[in-house]
Amino acid sequence: MKVNAAPMNQKIWTPWFTVGVIFIALGAIVTLYRFIFGIGAVTNLSDGVPWGIWIAFDVVTGIALAAGGFTMAALIYIFNRGQYSPLVRPALITALLGYGIAAFSIMLDVGRWWQLYNPLLPRSWQGNSPLFEVSLCVMTYLTVLILEFVPIAAEKYKDSDNAFLKSLANKLGPVVNKALLFLIILGVVISTLHQSSLGSVMLVAVARIHPLWHTAWLPFLFLVSAIAVGFPVVVIESFVSAKAFKRSFEAGILSKLVKVTPWFLAIYGVVRYSDIIISGKAGYLLSGWGLLFIVENLMLIIIPFFMFINQKARTSPNGLLIASVIMVVGLVLNRLNTYLITYSPRPGWDYFPSIGELLVSAMLISLLFVGYKILANNFPVLSKEH
Amino acid sequence: MALSRRDFFKTSTILGGTILGVSKKSFAEETEQSIADNWGMLNDSTLCIGCRGCQSACKKEHGLDRVGNDPRYDMPTDLNADNLTLIQLYNKTETEYCFIRRSCLHCNYPSCVSVCPVAAFTKRDDGVVVYDKDKCIGCRYCQVACPFEAPTFEYDEAFPVVHKCDFCKDTRLDKGLKPACASVCPRGAIKFGKRGELLEEARNRIKDNPERYNAHIYGETEIGGTSVMFLAPKNIEFDDLGYHSWGETPPGALQEKIQHGIFKYWIPPVALYGALAILAVSNRKKNNDDNQSEEAGNES
Repeated sequence: MKVNAAPMNQKIWTPWFTVGVIFIALGAIVTLYRFIFGIGAVTNLSDGVPWGIWIAFDVVTGIALAAGGFTMAALIYIFNRGQYSPLVRPALITALLGYGIAAFSIMLDVGRWWQLYNPLLPRSWQGNSPLFEVSLCVMTYLTVLILEFVPIAAEKYKDSDNAFLKSLANKLGPVVNKALLFLIILGVVISTLHQSSLGSVMLVAVARIHPLWHTAWLPFLFLVSAIAVGFPVVVIESFVSAKAFKRSFEAGILSKLVKVTPWFLAIYGVVRYSDIIISGKAGYLLSGWGLLFIVENLMLIIIPFFMFINQKARTSPNGLLIASVIMVVGLVLNRLNTYLITYSPRPGWDYFPSIGELLVSAMLISLLFVGYKILANNFPVLSKEH
Repeated sequence: MALSRRDFFKTSTILGGTILGVSKKSFAEETEQSIADNWGMLNDSTLCIGCRGCQSACKKEHGLDRVGNDPRYDMPTDLNADNLTLIQLYNKTETEYCFIRRSCLHCNYPSCVSVCPVAAFTKRDDGVVVYDKDKCIGCRYCQVACPFEAPTFEYDEAFPVVHKCDFCKDTRLDKGLKPACASVCPRGAIKFGKRGELLEEARNRIKDNPERYNAHIYGETEIGGTSVMFLAPKNIEFDDLGYHSWGETPPGALQEKIQHGIFKYWIPPVALYGALAILAVSNRKKNNDDNQSEEAGNES
């Protein structure tokens, strides 16, 4: 696939970049504090609510939103839609940063982080656990994403003045390039596995999750919604990157891209509502939780569906962006509802994220933007403008 | 709404289990006999007077800290990393009340064992559900999974450990002694023994004193059965004691079934990989052919 990309080489220290760096610094202090004094010292987590926003938002939602990486790769390399190839590298680095941040967040959240390599040891293998699968998949996929980044790095360093980098780039680049298609397919397979398994994780919590969100279809729904949200995330990422690097927002190509999104939304909506009706949960829709469910569904399914099938809304830059933002917020709400908001704590316990937890999440989001800017600025990621 | 959340889980898990063909057998290699031979406990709430001797004995046996800095001992209000068992009072009316004990119930098909990503929880051949801190990564999935809220975590430690009742396996059980709580109970309200025998005993107690007991034995069938079982006074419902009817399907069964389905002999992932590879290669070839014919067309 021919990609004609170049490093942006623009000024890095803009006001927004500085804001991001400040959040990273604040989050780093909280992180340090957490490792010295324990999870309880900086979070509101307890035996009553063991998983908070670090898991529900930073890991679970983050991984769903990083799905753009594998949907984009599948579209271009497996379905061979070469016309979208300018979008593949930005989607790749977004996924790379997203998964790196999720992995870091897992390290922060687990109590016994120094044993985090345990899922790799055969004595600890536990095929019954969806979280075992997720942990192996995330480790493997992160490796695959790093390898997928190698050709980009090789392109930068192939004529480098540094002899070591130059020889490395010229040796490694062609090797990875040859294997690239098979690495990409591996990444797609791993993604379908762990995106669905993140839904399976909550199946066991029958005592905890509200029935409107707890269904045997969770793994399927998590997978389909992650695939569906992939392209709208690419839309937002393109918009933000266009703003950051003062480029034009390529609404034309993006509005073609999201044509496929309503199909996935339709499958998702039909399965989700059929399940609610067939399993006799429709009565819950009239309760307060039902209202939350409907708000979530309006944002995740219904509004984006109608905006994306409407040619006028889809092809206008504003309509495209608004529909994508609404859908992403709907997906965030869906993941938070499934993992946190409808989670009923042990009797007598409650949870609201602490300042420390919020600062760490702000740090992780900032790392995504700052990291994107640094990578796109220094490596051939964004395509040359025509 | 007439339908409560808990009622719903009961019917939906049974229904879901039936539809998807989840049977308890596929869940583990337990048999009726192996379950009857497991170590268990029978807690008789009609006998318990709430002296909390079991609580103190448990703390002493496990070397757990007091609550707070006050040198005078105070009662904990919930299970936590320093209290692996707890006696709680349920007051229905002035005259109708009982004490109920909480701890790990050592399930026949434990959710913690089912979900732990690193096999830090295992069920021994004698039925004791044990924890290994050397495997644990501290993800706390066990806390999310356990319907009885048994595993607790040291949130205030930099190097935390999960705690739960282990039937005093290291200090007593494996030396042929009963767990500390059962051995100190002055009323015999905690009876330790083989699950099969305890179940029979429980049935006999109900049969002999139908006016004294709630006819239900909690833990006989709930989520596939538990090793620690409970008797309650007549007129007091288990639901009010915090022991809910979760249905008979173990919570981990559905997810285990799905995991095993996805990875059956590695066929589904490998097949998906193969299908995508064929698709990619054939699409690429088609594209090259198109390009060549286009180029040929341009040349002519």
